[in-house]
Amino acid sequence: MTAETDAFLEVKNATRSYGGVKALDNCSIKISEGKITGLIGPNGSGKTTLFNAITGYESIEGGDVYFRGQSITGKTPEQIFALGIGRTFQLTKIFARMTVMENMFIATQRKEGWLRSVIRPAGSSEELDRAVEILKFVGLLKLAESPAGSLSYGQRKLLELAYILIADPTLLLLDEPAGGVNLSLIKELGDHIRYLNSLGKTFLIVEHNMDFVLTLCHEVNVMSSGSVFMTGKPEQVRSDPRVLDAYLGIDDFEEEIVVP
Amino acid sequence: MSAGTLEMAILDGILTGGVYALMAAGLTLIFGVLDMINIAQGIFVILGAYASYSLEHSFGIGLFEGLIITIPAMFLLGAFIEWAFIRRLGEYNRVSMSILVTYAVTIVIEGVLLLHFGSNYRSLTASYVTQSFHVFGNYLPKIYLYGFLLALASVLVLYFILYKTRLGVSVRAAMDNRFAAQLVGVEVKRVSTLTFAIGVAVTAVGGMVFGAVQPFTPNSSYDLISRLLTIVVLGGLGSVGGALVGALVMVVVEDIISVAWTPTWATLIYFAVLVIVLLLKPQGLFGQREVRAQ
Repeated sequence: MTAETDAFLEVKNATRSYGGVKALDNCSIKISEGKITGLIGPNGSGKTTLFNAITGYESIEGGDVYFRGQSITGKTPEQIFALGIGRTFQLTKIFARMTVMENMFIATQRKEGWLRSVIRPAGSSEELDRAVEILKFVGLLKLAESPAGSLSYGQRKLLELAYILIADPTLLLLDEPAGGVNLSLIKELGDHIRYLNSLGKTFLIVEHNMDFVLTLCHEVNVMSSGSVFMTGKPEQVRSDPRVLDAYLGIDDFEEEIVVP
Repeated sequence: MSAGTLEMAILDGILTGGVYALMAAGLTLIFGVLDMINIAQGIFVILGAYASYSLEHSFGIGLFEGLIITIPAMFLLGAFIEWAFIRRLGEYNRVSMSILVTYAVTIVIEGVLLLHFGSNYRSLTASYVTQSFHVFGNYLPKIYLYGFLLALASVLVLYFILYKTRLGVSVRAAMDNRFAAQLVGVEVKRVSTLTFAIGVAVTAVGGMVFGAVQPFTPNSSYDLISRLLTIVVLGGLGSVGGALVGALVMVVVEDIISVAWTPTWATLIYFAVLVIVLLLKPQGLFGQREVRAQ
């Protein structure tokens, strides 16, 4: 275990292209342990591709990804999840045909032996206790027996966070957690993230809601055209003219940015 | 139409439907988790029937006792076929490719059976195959009831596995959203192998009952798979409950038409019902509008 890097998570010179378009162009980013880090940038700047590269969903053509000093480049999504990197999605992935409580048990499956899984009950009593605790934390406990498909959009985001949390990841990657969520829930979500952070969890958050990102994060990275071009404290990012340029420089004005 | 004939037809339909339901449940589970159509499900049933036949004729092992050997054997065969062929399928054109691959498996198994057993009709015999209960003024072979109870027990075991165990959570998560399940650590490859193996293992039971109720040849699988596919489509692809209802609808409709009108039209009427259901609900009775939401 050679320490290639001192950062908690580090991406070095990642490159990935689709046809002629470089979704990641020599992209590098460092995440410090115990911090909430933000990742912003206009649509198509490569934020989600970077998430996919870190979580092993997409392979990168060049560059490396390190987690706690070890290379995780080329590992599969389940291996990376097992290492303690949990992730939520822009388009929420919940298991709609299963109940909220059953959703909580999915991420606890990975350590189970081959044929034992056929006879062992779905959740052990410790897992059940933990699931109840986490559902209480995100406020979904009263809906535990409802099918997940019946939840509202915001509740689905909370459930996705909850079922990732049961696996106790040390690093959480959240892809637009506040997108399409109503204001009171956004505030609640922010409180949840701060609380989890106080327990020692590290966050990397992609978000379009600038207020949310700039008030929540300790550090913010700004992406444009496939690479991170600046990293700084929220107040630095807020006042940097290059950031506004990055958003205004693109042709696509459908961007739903909320400039504070 | 003599008194009791209709009741008898319904009873017969329910009993036979239970066996079809079990075979179709295996098929729909495989579809749900592996995103593929297993055309070989028909020949697996016939293989199960021949396995029971061989055990009985060569070793004198009774039909029900023989299941202790045939169920694990079919499970292992299923695991092997998944590992050897299905796992190699890519995402591109997956469903069509799976039909070709499992059709090839069908032809190979059919060829082996033809070589070994020839093309004459065989049937499974036992005391409970020839003995009957007296109900509604008619005779009902005991095997119908025993077969139904066995199929029912198997379906209950399937339900228990699906809804109460850790494997069940993984299987249903993979059916719901394979990609997301993989991301939270469900080992979809392993779950796929187990699901395919379980889906094939149930054909040992289905084959034994099928072979006891009617004579079979290695060619019998084609009629069977077309019926199983219509059951699964009627019930909704990927829905185990749908497979149960679909099987009952098929057999009961056919049996009632046969006795109330004429056997000639029975299958046609069933297909008319199928077409009407699909016109009204293209996803089948219990299917999801989008079978796999990615």
